[in-house]
Amino acid sequence: MPVDLAARILAHDAIAPNHFLMTLEAPRIARAARPGQFVMLQVHEGRDPLLRRPMSVCRVPGGSRRRVAILYKVVGEGTQRLSRQRVGGRLATLGPLGNGFRLPAPRRGGTAAPALLVAGGVGIAIFPFLVDALRRRGVRPVLLYGARSARDLVALQMFRSRGVVVRLATEDGSRGTKGFVTALLEPLLRGSGPRPEIYACGPTPMLRAVGDLALETGASCQLALESQMPCGIGVCLGCVVACPGDAAGPIYRRVCTEGPVFAAGEVRL
Amino acid sequence: MSRPAPKNVDVAVRLGPLELKNPVLAASGTFGYGTEFDAYFDLAALGGFVTKGLSLRPRRGNAAPRTCETACGMLNAIGLANVGVEAFLDEKLPALRGRDTKVIANVFGETQDEYVAVARRLNGAAGLHALELNLSCPNTERGGMAFGTSPAVIRDVVQAVRRAAPDLPLIVKLTPNITDIAEAGRAARDGGADILSLVNTFLGMAIDLDSRRPVLDNVVGGLSGPAIKPLALYMVHRVFREVDLPIIGMGGIASARDALEFMVAGSSAVQIGTANFVEPAAPLRVAQDIRDWCRKRGVAAVRDLVGTLRLPAGPERGAVAG
Repeated sequence: MPVDLAARILAHDAIAPNHFLMTLEAPRIARAARPGQFVMLQVHEGRDPLLRRPMSVCRVPGGSRRRVAILYKVVGEGTQRLSRQRVGGRLATLGPLGNGFRLPAPRRGGTAAPALLVAGGVGIAIFPFLVDALRRRGVRPVLLYGARSARDLVALQMFRSRGVVVRLATEDGSRGTKGFVTALLEPLLRGSGPRPEIYACGPTPMLRAVGDLALETGASCQLALESQMPCGIGVCLGCVVACPGDAAGPIYRRVCTEGPVFAAGEVRL
Repeated sequence: MSRPAPKNVDVAVRLGPLELKNPVLAASGTFGYGTEFDAYFDLAALGGFVTKGLSLRPRRGNAAPRTCETACGMLNAIGLANVGVEAFLDEKLPALRGRDTKVIANVFGETQDEYVAVARRLNGAAGLHALELNLSCPNTERGGMAFGTSPAVIRDVVQAVRRAAPDLPLIVKLTPNITDIAEAGRAARDGGADILSLVNTFLGMAIDLDSRRPVLDNVVGGLSGPAIKPLALYMVHRVFREVDLPIIGMGGIASARDALEFMVAGSSAVQIGTANFVEPAAPLRVAQDIRDWCRKRGVAAVRDLVGTLRLPAGPERGAVAG
């Protein structure tokens, strides 16, 4: 069951231009959280902006499971306010919310499907927690990470220190392959190796392209969606995504409750 | 000079045929079907709650984006997505029986016949305590607000629903998107409403300047949140002075002080709406803080505050701002 608690800010650091890592003391959320889930985080005391912001659980650091880390990029007024919050203050934190990623069963002999993590921009935030869970199941994932330019590639050390193979792409070619992250993904899916399990998080056009590639090549693919999300608990019906319906048109599903993780093909992006 | 603090504050209120253990309700469209909030507090702590608007058949709602944050508030254009009255009766209402709080069904139709059919279906349902007629939703092509802006139409639909659901207290929810809300209130009273609830959201829009497109797929939406509180408070004030029916006030209420201001203006009870999105336990907090405020101020019964606004002496003011 999700809980709403006043979480103390234990650490709050700029890790790159416009990108921050915040650690919150939230034991009941930390103990219950699974990779791919999120929290609704208060960004300041006031009423403008009014709404909380959905934030992926980036990590549950340490063995004691008392803390939750979130990684965010300043993109508007809400995240701007959040970036000014000081260590020692408290922020209302509601979670864990959403369904999270479907994880492979713990391995007993045999080989698990290789895991490909596909991140676009600040979508990277969802993956450190997933990497920890996959490694515990004996899966060593490969990260394909795309961003606008080299300065937008953040948190690489979190992956390298966990033994993750990292491949990079930038739109301006300032680091890694020039182009979109799908340029890294496509040859892997069209190769002859075993079918991978894809976990993707990033901007909607990226998710659409990744989902299409996966469906075309027969790879299993989970997409973690972002959405305008006023409540996060399934009651405002604001965060819906269109899904294949019938002659009467699409049906809509709540990203906060039926998602944020959907299988490719389940959603029409 | 303060009066001695009462040990127990009487927070019960009565609105015509509807008795509430306290004046705090959760508003339609912000509280799902109630059980979504079981994780956060005991529904029995509320005077009651109002379900998502129910139509005769399930509705899928509008395309995304459906919401947009604005200064001190938000716009929504959900399009009354709901499970439909049959699924409500089969799947949602059974889980609410015996909760020791008032369950109020919000009723929506695209035609007068649909309003009547939904109300008839709900009349007599075990565990249901009142109907709230949604004559004020701005986000559907037909129905809702179209019904809420013409006094003659309001009177007719209220009268028809009154006959179709004779056993349930009838609340009529008014739109603020009208020249004189008091006229709509009088029409609802003439049709047989027991209680008025006001206000629903204000029509608004948001534009993305870079693309020069409306932010909402529906182009227009309903504005809610603290941004609308002064507007809503004024409308409650006006209807209280013009229409002789109990009022449930709402519009940007997020604290006990907000709620009590609405009561002083003439509301016998209040609904908490958008605040539920920001803080799921907001209605619980407001209910508790109302009790505390009354205790500290020596108010023995919260109902004694209703309509106690102290107006300046002299010629009538308040109709026109200058």
